[in-house]
Amino acid sequence: MMAWSTHDPTTKRLFFLFGLWLVVIVISSLLSPHFLQASTIPFLLQYVPIIGLLGIGQTLVILSGGPGIDLSVGAMLSLVGLAVGWLFTLGVDIYAACLLGIVFGAMLGAVNGVLINWIGIPSLMATLATLFAYSGLALALTGGTPIGGLPDHFTWLGQGQIWLIPNHFLLVFVPVAIILHIVLTYMRIGRHIYAAGNDERAAHLIGIRVRRLRTGLYILSGVLAALAAIMNLSWFQAARPDAGIGMELLSITVAVLGGTYIFGGQGRIAGTVLAIMIVTTLQVGLQLANVSQAWQLGVIGVLLIGSVGINTLLGRQNLGQSLGRLLGQTK
Amino acid sequence: MTSLSRFARGAQRELILVLAILMICALFASQSEFFLTERNLTTVLRRSVDLAIIGAGMTLVIMSGGIDVSVGGILAVSAIFIGRAFEADLPAPIVVIIGVSVGTLLGLMNGAICAKAKVPPIIATLGSMYVFIAVLYLVIGGTWISGLPDTLSFLTRGDVAGIPVGVFIIAAVYGFCWILLHRQPWGRHLCAIGNDEAAARLVGIPVDRVKMQAYALLGLLAGLAAVLYVARLRNVEVNIGTNVALEAIAATILGGANIRGGVGSLIGTLLGVVFIKLMQNGLVLIGVSSLWEGVVIGGLLVVVLSIDALQSRYRYGRSL
Repeated sequence: MMAWSTHDPTTKRLFFLFGLWLVVIVISSLLSPHFLQASTIPFLLQYVPIIGLLGIGQTLVILSGGPGIDLSVGAMLSLVGLAVGWLFTLGVDIYAACLLGIVFGAMLGAVNGVLINWIGIPSLMATLATLFAYSGLALALTGGTPIGGLPDHFTWLGQGQIWLIPNHFLLVFVPVAIILHIVLTYMRIGRHIYAAGNDERAAHLIGIRVRRLRTGLYILSGVLAALAAIMNLSWFQAARPDAGIGMELLSITVAVLGGTYIFGGQGRIAGTVLAIMIVTTLQVGLQLANVSQAWQLGVIGVLLIGSVGINTLLGRQNLGQSLGRLLGQTK
Repeated sequence: MTSLSRFARGAQRELILVLAILMICALFASQSEFFLTERNLTTVLRRSVDLAIIGAGMTLVIMSGGIDVSVGGILAVSAIFIGRAFEADLPAPIVVIIGVSVGTLLGLMNGAICAKAKVPPIIATLGSMYVFIAVLYLVIGGTWISGLPDTLSFLTRGDVAGIPVGVFIIAAVYGFCWILLHRQPWGRHLCAIGNDEAAARLVGIPVDRVKMQAYALLGLLAGLAAVLYVARLRNVEVNIGTNVALEAIAATILGGANIRGGVGSLIGTLLGVVFIKLMQNGLVLIGVSSLWEGVVIGGLLVVVLSIDALQSRYRYGRSL
């Protein structure tokens, strides 16, 4: 089991991320006098759940190895949002439409899972192709125009809040994160995910059905993208074909920044959640300080590259190993 | 795999692509009498030049086991420099040199992040894509750089001996890359790195340097594509280069390159570019909205990748 000792690199990572979050908070409050106010909390948490669910799905997909990655999460978000909006305009009850949307998300994820695990296409290429196909479908089926006119009572999820905490944060994001954390850390299937990510051959030999497990995680990624789409829909009251553009990059950023090893086997939900808080705080801080959105993109890009560089620094298992690596070099 | 059977397999893919191109030509020609006119085909050719030369660079990078999704960003940033250089009234040759050097530098930066900092190429280039887009927004924001002079338009509109200049550009770029790949030790090194990086390192190939050179070459070609872009449209706007990386990767994979590295074909990539561009043009001509482009390219990629994957499983067996 994972021990909470300071020698454990993933625990070190969590401390590092927490420190980084504090730094970002300090910088944000220096940049803008409006940052350190109670009204910032709902503003900040409003952004967390959507990117959060995508990031958690991405974390699990990457964690299970392969190497696995899901570039199509943003496209699935756009497409599911449109499907739900379209079903509603056909006269389907909005909650039934949401349920169908989740099933649809699972199907989109299953396509990825089958292409990667059963047909054998590398995940990067397979999900790049489905990114094309899903976002292309979203554009083509709507002709590029958004679907609006959702009922007013549906806004409770994405716009309502209880004591400064947005509903979708409290009712969707927190439970999903906690449940998946428990599954990953304390249940057998969680051990299987780590095993498949660390050594798929060995995992296969001890009887873990690696391909089935990974397919399931791609489906989970689709379901989480569908949930994110529903929250997005409730927040904005309209389904846009470009709703998820760029989210795949952001979700990979938070997964990797959170300490998920890009080739699988190492990472935690807690790390990803901290990374989401860091990225969102940064975005909100820069927004409140009236810094151009372009800078947010630039900072996220540097963060993405830097976080992997930091991984290679912090990821060294122990001093002896890195010393051995140094001494072994003949250069 | 022996070189002979690799050649046979590569040629097989190219043959299939030629057949596929002939098939879609027949299909589009039967639906639209305008498709097979000389004017339309020349237009398609002139518009394929940017993608074709970027595709050549992408083929080399993918053969080395890497990938570059930021190439559209490199094109955009180079185009900004070209636009600003034009606005500063610099002479055309200097402008071209500026554009190409900016592209090369940005490509080199990508290569250094991948090779020296050991960041996986997909992560490194996703990150630099963000940075390039940020630069694009910061420099030109919501406006366009427009009204640039037409001193370079002979590159895209001109003819030499009745043949569009673009053909010569493509021939030069592919000839250069072909020589690098097949008549120089560098090409062997690149393939070796793509096949087995650790082994390549052990036999003394300067792995980091070769990788950085491949990325720099792709950057250079993206800079060249930026020159052609500005020469053709004489403006720089915010959407520049959005689909280039994905289309170039799609063309390379269609052309028979293996995304895991080590295998690739320049001619295949060129045919892949022709196929994609003819498809885009034909779909619009037969009255399908251009919004369907993404679906068609994505679906095509899924089919080709599935065939590749099933074929290699048939040949080498399952891994699990």
